[in-house]
Amino acid sequence: MMVPVRCFTCGTVVGEHWEEFKARTREAEEPEDPEKVLDELGVERHCCRRMLVSHKDLVDIVAPYQ
Amino acid sequence: MELRVIEKADTMLSIEVAGEDHTFMNVLKGALLETEGVTAATYDVNPEQSGGQTEPILTIKTEENVDALDALEDGAERVIAKSQNFREAFEAAA
Amino acid sequence: MTEEYEVEFVDLGEREATFLVRPITPAFANGIRRAMIADVPTFSIDTVRFIENSSVMFDEQLGLRLGLVPLSTPPGEFEEGEEVTLSLDVEGPETAYSGDLVASDPMVEPADDNIPIIDLKDGQRLELEADAVLDSGREHAKHQGGVAVSYRHLQTVEVVGERGEFAADDPHVLRGVIEEQEADAAADADAQNGDLVPTDAFDNDLTNRYPEKELDVHDIEDAFVFNVETDGSFDVETLVLEAVGSLETRADELKEAVQL
Repeated sequence: MMVPVRCFTCGTVVGEHWEEFKARTREAEEPEDPEKVLDELGVERHCCRRMLVSHKDLVDIVAPYQ
Repeated sequence: MELRVIEKADTMLSIEVAGEDHTFMNVLKGALLETEGVTAATYDVNPEQSGGQTEPILTIKTEENVDALDALEDGAERVIAKSQNFREAFEAAA
Repeated sequence: MTEEYEVEFVDLGEREATFLVRPITPAFANGIRRAMIADVPTFSIDTVRFIENSSVMFDEQLGLRLGLVPLSTPPGEFEEGEEVTLSLDVEGPETAYSGDLVASDPMVEPADDNIPIIDLKDGQRLELEADAVLDSGREHAKHQGGVAVSYRHLQTVEVVGERGEFAADDPHVLRGVIEEQEADAAADADAQNGDLVPTDAFDNDLTNRYPEKELDVHDIEDAFVFNVETDGSFDVETLVLEAVGSLETRADELKEAVQL
C-alpha cells in the first residue's frame, strides 16, 4: 500500500528515498536505470534495494472502495 | 544489578547476575580470563523459552591465595579500564 | 594493566563509519557490537491517540509506520522511559510525511523528513497525538539506534609467489579492509606498507591489486574493523561512545555490588 518505512531485513530507513526513486525511475519522461538511482541514493545493500524496486503504491487503487 | 551467591568457597564462586545477558557476561568472562589469579571463568545462560533458570550464572575458580570475590572485583575493574581506554582512543581518532 | 587501544578511521560520516580497533579481544568487540544494537536507547513513537483518521489505512497500521520513524535523541538529556509528545495534522489531498510531525520538545524531532506516512485523498484527514518513549533495542527493534552494525577481522595479503603461467585467471574476491604489506607488488603506485585499504578500492578483486601473483590471505589477530550505521537518531560517534559507556556503567554497578 504505502512504501515500508524501513527495510524489513536490516532496519535502514528506506521510505525516505521512495518519492525520489519513484519520480526518477517510473514517472520521469526518460526513466533512469534503477540500479544507478539506488547507488546515488546510497541504498547499497540488496535487502534495502529490493524494498524499493519491488514496491507498488496502492492507495490510489483502494481509495474508491472506502 | 542484583547478585545472588549460589555457591562460595575460598577459591571458587558461583553467582547469579540478574538482568544481564551475553552482551555484558561475555565481556566480563573475557576480562576475568585475562585477570591474574583466575584459573577458570565461565557463565551459563538459558533461553527464556526453556523455563526455569534464565538469569546468567557466572562461575569463577581462582588460584589458592586469591579470593574468588576479589577476583570478580578485579574483573569488573578490568572491564571499566578497557571501556575507558577504548573511549579515549576512539575520541582521539574521531 | 590493560592494553591501550588504537583506533583508526577508514571512513567517517555522520550516519556511517568504518574504523579499525586494535588490539581488541573478540569478547570485548562483540560486547560493543551487541551494546550498540540493543542497549543504546532511542526515542520512538509508542502510543498514538487518533483524533481523526479517514485515510485508507487503519489506525494500527499507521501506528506501526509512525513507530518506525527515527527520532533524534540527544545523549544524556533524557532518562529511559521518559516521554515526549508529538502531533500531526494533515488534510488531503496531500501526503502526510514524517516531517509533518510537530514535537513538543525541539530536541526530539524526526531525523528524516521525507518518509511518507500516508497518502491522503480529497476529503481525508489525519489528526493524531503520539507519545514517543525512550527505550532500548532490547525492548523493541524500533528503538535500535544502530542499524547493520558489524565487525570483522582486519585482513592482510601475502604474496607467496608468481601465479603459474597456465593457472586459471579466476577473480579472487575479498570483502572488508586489508592492511597493505606487499606495497611493491601492488598495482597502485602510491601504496605504502601499513596502509588500510578498503577492498572496494580495487573492486573487491585481489587480482586487480596484485596482478599475476599467487596470494595468501589471512586475518590479523585481535584487529577488528567495525562497520557502524545509525538510523539517524544520533551520529556514529555518539552511538559507539554510548555503547561503551553502557558496558562501563554495568561494570561499575557490578563492582559496587561486589563490594557490599
